[in-house]
Amino acid sequence: MSAFRRLFRLPGSSANVARDVGSELGFHLDMRTQELIDAGMGPQAARLAALQAFGDLEAIEGECRDIAARGARERARRDTMLGLAHDLRFALRSLRKAPGFTLVAILTLGLGIGANTAVFSMIRGVLLRPLPYEDGERLVYLKQPAPLSGVANAQFSVPELVDYRERSRGLQSIVEYHSMPFILLGQGEPRRVQTGVVSANYFDVLGVKPMMGRAFRTGEDQSGAEPVLVLSYAFWQNRLGGDPGIVGRTFEMNDRIHTVIGILPPVPQYPAENDIYMPSSSCPFRSSSFTTTTRTARLLHLFGRLGPGVTLAQAQSELAGLATTMRAEYPAAYPSGRGFSIEAASLHDELTKQAKPTLLLLLGTTGFVLLIACANIANLTLARLVRRSREMALRAALGADRARLFRQMLVEGSLLALAGGVLGLALAAGTMRLLTSFAARFTPRAAEISLDGQVLAFTLVVCMLTGLVFAVLPALPSRANLVSALKEGGAATSGGGSHRVRAALVVAQVAVSMVLMVGAGLMLRSLLALQALDPGFDTQRVLTMTLDLNWSRYTTNELVLGFHDQLHARLAGQPGVMATASSLTFPLDGHRRINVNFAIEGQPPAEAGAEPLGDLRSATPEYFQTLGIPLVTGRFFTASDGPNSPGVAVVNQTLAQRYWGKETAVGHRISADTGKTWITIVGVVGDVHHYSLESEPSEEVYLPFSQVPFRESSFLVRTSADPGAMARRIGEEVLSIDPGQPLANIQTLEEVRGEALASPRLTTSLLLMFALLALCITAAGLGAVVAFSVSQRTQEIGVRMALGAGRAEVLGMVLREGLQLVIIGLALGIASAVLLTRLMSGLLYQVEATDPITFAGMALVLVLIAAAACLAPARRASAVDPMVALRAT
Amino acid sequence: MAGSDLYVGTLDVLILKALSWGPMHGYAIGRWIRQTTDDALTVQEGALYPALHRLQRRGWLEEEWGVSETGREAKYYRMSPAGRRHLRAEVERWRTYARAVMAALDAAPA
Repeated sequence: MSAFRRLFRLPGSSANVARDVGSELGFHLDMRTQELIDAGMGPQAARLAALQAFGDLEAIEGECRDIAARGARERARRDTMLGLAHDLRFALRSLRKAPGFTLVAILTLGLGIGANTAVFSMIRGVLLRPLPYEDGERLVYLKQPAPLSGVANAQFSVPELVDYRERSRGLQSIVEYHSMPFILLGQGEPRRVQTGVVSANYFDVLGVKPMMGRAFRTGEDQSGAEPVLVLSYAFWQNRLGGDPGIVGRTFEMNDRIHTVIGILPPVPQYPAENDIYMPSSSCPFRSSSFTTTTRTARLLHLFGRLGPGVTLAQAQSELAGLATTMRAEYPAAYPSGRGFSIEAASLHDELTKQAKPTLLLLLGTTGFVLLIACANIANLTLARLVRRSREMALRAALGADRARLFRQMLVEGSLLALAGGVLGLALAAGTMRLLTSFAARFTPRAAEISLDGQVLAFTLVVCMLTGLVFAVLPALPSRANLVSALKEGGAATSGGGSHRVRAALVVAQVAVSMVLMVGAGLMLRSLLALQALDPGFDTQRVLTMTLDLNWSRYTTNELVLGFHDQLHARLAGQPGVMATASSLTFPLDGHRRINVNFAIEGQPPAEAGAEPLGDLRSATPEYFQTLGIPLVTGRFFTASDGPNSPGVAVVNQTLAQRYWGKETAVGHRISADTGKTWITIVGVVGDVHHYSLESEPSEEVYLPFSQVPFRESSFLVRTSADPGAMARRIGEEVLSIDPGQPLANIQTLEEVRGEALASPRLTTSLLLMFALLALCITAAGLGAVVAFSVSQRTQEIGVRMALGAGRAEVLGMVLREGLQLVIIGLALGIASAVLLTRLMSGLLYQVEATDPITFAGMALVLVLIAAAACLAPARRASAVDPMVALRAT
Repeated sequence: MAGSDLYVGTLDVLILKALSWGPMHGYAIGRWIRQTTDDALTVQEGALYPALHRLQRRGWLEEEWGVSETGREAKYYRMSPAGRRHLRAEVERWRTYARAVMAALDAAPA
């Protein structure tokens, strides 16, 4: 011990310092005592005298210790700084000497870190960042589910709002919202505006402060108040050119003059984006006596703010109690057959729930890609380490200890990781816009995505961890004897632990790649299934648009029908127009579901709430031909099914099947007004995926537009040529009939379908891209390991060949060695994928998470790519000239 | 043992001087000071050690563990090049100082 300490007296620990000071002073006292004894004193007296001469031993010892400890700390710090500076210079030099390795490492890391930064910035902006409303985490969104009739949220009626508002103690305030299209006149051409109709204190409760002007004031939602408007930021910017003098301007709407009082900041709007907002009193529909007194006229969305100290669960249980009371008070409004209940959800969760699974899937994927990248660089580093063994041995001989060598690796790793991080950040910044538009398909919060401080911190942490990972991995093989192994240099290391670690790294890479490929493959299969799906209608050459007639002008059914008839007549003879149709909705238009309860003639009346229910479609006769919906039996509507002729209906196959089974539905009569009037079913048509491609066809009742007209409608045109070119002409025709009537949402049906497919397509392409990246990195890693092993075994191969092994045999041997790793990795990967893909089953359409075809296909692809990666080094091995190889030693 | 008070810095310069002949342990340094100054400057012997540690911390001394003449493990101090430079400067300062003081003390009345 003491000999070692003499040689390597390491400054540092306070225990060492104390021991040293103690032994130094003890030595002095002993020597002094001995001197006095030699001079003739008795041992005890000598000891006392020595102590006395020394002074206050304790104080001096303490003082020495302090000084020595401080000195030791300073020295350690200085050594570290010097060492670090040295390591840094050394790392830079050695990286410069291996430009190929450095470039590959930085590129791989840049892609890995960039992908992670990009995905994390989405997660940060959408899931983690607090809502941009004041104290937004205390906001709740109320839902009234009626699960027994398959309705996730039936919304609320005005009487219900009044009751909940009066009775709830847990919610500080409850505000209402619904959205309607209106026509805004003044300042240029007429505009259709999606209008949020809200309580006067709506923005106060949400905690949104207008960017300009003011929000609504108390009382502005009472009848008789001056009509006022608040504009959304996007509408002000995009449609009004960001006019700074807009506050105070007036617009005509619903025959009244409305004054703009404020502009909202760019905040996410839920449940939908609106162009403008008005107080509830300004909406003619909301203030009609039918709406304000009918408990079943549920059109409102309700938001609330939790009272101080109230938890979401408490609010939920209070509301459930209130709902039970209400059901008892008004049984007719809550038919037991529909199973009404109430639910308070955090607004934050509502805003992000759709995005969450996709974002987490992406984060998992990019995390895996980065791991694979790390493994690859660790692998390359190991190979370099073996090649650099002479240098390392030299450094070890010159006194660099294991910690020092380890630190050197860490510094090199961190340098690479930081360079990769810079590249990654640049990549993430470059793809920001793309990401935002991607996220916008899932959440209204997309605009909040940015590379903020937290994202930068995340990237830095990822960089540091990455650097650590490939510093640690290469040091693993011979934890105990890295230095001695390196001192021996060369072959010993490559054959031993290091090779095993490199093989393990490749196995892990293959396993992770397999997981990613299976994930991407499942998404691809799901996307292909969606694309191949026959939606029940023909999307080719159909132009769709929204035609919402002015509330104040088209006040009767005759006026509405008159407008539509005129438009059909004007377009009928035009070149390129094959058919035109008006309807309440059209497939995939995102329109809200409108149900119709009906009774079937000849069947006993059903219990309240358990009546047959169909989704209402109101359409002109040409609707079916325009969309290519096939007739199954009976007939379509005809021009003779007019407003005054007997009521007729067409139902879809699913509904016909449900209520009439094998018997034909045609000729049966149904009633939507509990038997007052009867409607004859005249035809059965094919099913349509109306709400989304992945949702199953619902039960549909079509009624003639002429008998059930709507002011808010869609207008469809089937064209013989490019439908896009027709849009302008149709708009002109509309304006020539009524110059105050705008058209909106002009899109071809193909575009509408494309939109519906866009988010799965984007998610799938991202996942495929990452899986491909992982595969490439893994293949490169595998190839490198096999190549290295071959280069280390040139001599052995030479011997084998000299002893008569053929080229094919050598080729097979090397390939087998590589594929062995692949098979192990594959097995691990399949096992992990079975466990992991289950998490994404919610994102899949018509594909099982354990789909054997995907698993087998991806395994095959992986094996083929891996074999290709091994082929080059195997060929090189088989080309070894035995003589040369043997002589080389 | 309490001799006259040491002038500030005296002990430091004496330690450096002692070490200018080669590495020594603390006890030997103390003994050398005692002997060469005839005990005239001796303070409490312990005061030597904080001074040694301070000098070491400033980089003028380096430590080195060795075996003493009596066969025990002991901490030896060795002067660093910086210490040697410091000693030279200090000696020069002392000479100037002493000359000035002596000149004043020996001066005849004006």
